[in-house]
Amino acid sequence: MKTTIAVIGAAGRMGSGIASKLAEAGYRVLLAGKDQSKLADLSIRIREKFSGADIDTLDCSKEASWEADIIILAVPYSKEIEIAEKIKDVVTGKIVVSISNPLNQALDGLTTNPSTSAAEELANYLPYSKVVKAFNTVFAGSFYKNILAGKKIDSFVASDDKEAVSIVSNLVKDTGLNPLPAGNLSVSRTLENMALLLIRLSINNNYNGMAGWKVLHP
Amino acid sequence: MYTILQEQILKRVKLTKEEFALAKTYFIPKKVRKRQFILQEGEICKSLAFISKGCLRNYSVDDKGEEHIIRFGIEGWWISDLHSFTTGSPSMSSIDAIEDSELLLLEKSSYDKLCAAIPKIEHYFRILLENTNSAAMKRISDLISVPAEERYLNFLKTYPEITQRVPQSQIASFLGITPQSLSRIRKDLAEKK
Repeated sequence: MKTTIAVIGAAGRMGSGIASKLAEAGYRVLLAGKDQSKLADLSIRIREKFSGADIDTLDCSKEASWEADIIILAVPYSKEIEIAEKIKDVVTGKIVVSISNPLNQALDGLTTNPSTSAAEELANYLPYSKVVKAFNTVFAGSFYKNILAGKKIDSFVASDDKEAVSIVSNLVKDTGLNPLPAGNLSVSRTLENMALLLIRLSINNNYNGMAGWKVLHP
Repeated sequence: MYTILQEQILKRVKLTKEEFALAKTYFIPKKVRKRQFILQEGEICKSLAFISKGCLRNYSVDDKGEEHIIRFGIEGWWISDLHSFTTGSPSMSSIDAIEDSELLLLEKSSYDKLCAAIPKIEHYFRILLENTNSAAMKRISDLISVPAEERYLNFLKTYPEITQRVPQSQIASFLGITPQSLSRIRKDLAEKK
């Protein structure tokens, strides 16, 4: 059975990057979002690059999640629980990927309590799903330029479900990034702070989104 | 989504509301579109699929590329490649959707956990497997000893709903005859009336 992936918020910068790469890698990808004209444009762009892409657009996040085996919530932190409420009945037993960072408006801190994270909040809300943190420490530009200073950008993957970590690590690889399993879902607290730091550094040093994390080792 | 499953289980074992609420958490809800596969020959059948809505077929393909339908499944039925599911070996058959369908998938590990958590469910599956086995035995026996016309009449009687929903060519495949033979049988039967 071909794996079907729903990208909720597929018209956004992160969502479109992930969806395009996964469609190119041969997955069946359901592009879900409110703005159907943006999604139609995205479909055209994906098919121009990869004519065999198995993609469909849907305006309902529940329908897309019902049909999917894996759901990627490419939405801001502020929308994550709202979407979770809509899809919770149809994601039992499925992998749900949280890519968001709970940034404050000034982009200089996180709004979550240090004893939790956006991903753990989502997992509390979806107790029968396999919540995975991934893609939160990468900029959208990384899907188009995945090698910086001669190194492939790392993307950390965290979950309490080991099989889900392995499956999502493969997805990360298929988007052109280097997957790095980082541990249990509680590691998301660190990962979300790492995203905050990267954003601060990018602003302070004018990286212009051309930056990423890389763990060096021999 | 779960109503038909609950009804089917309650027909065979007495499950409390609380037990059913717990049982639900082991199932993966999955929608499939017409013609989509849930299992392709050579893959390991990872789940038992309960059909909440729609119609699917389980079939094999011979050396000449011809399809042979092993069984159909509609609302309230389970469908899987049981041999592959229980042994973990590659499946010899495929399963695809004849109509847009809604399924509740029970993966092998969830099946084992669910049976351990609610012994009444294990009892339910025992009854189900006994029925599946006797139906399969009857099908084999019919195929080798009952004339095609009688098999067709039995099919109409046993599965009136499937007859309405599935093309004649697929019914012929299920009966192990060519579509031409089936249309001859139908013509003969119409003349007898």
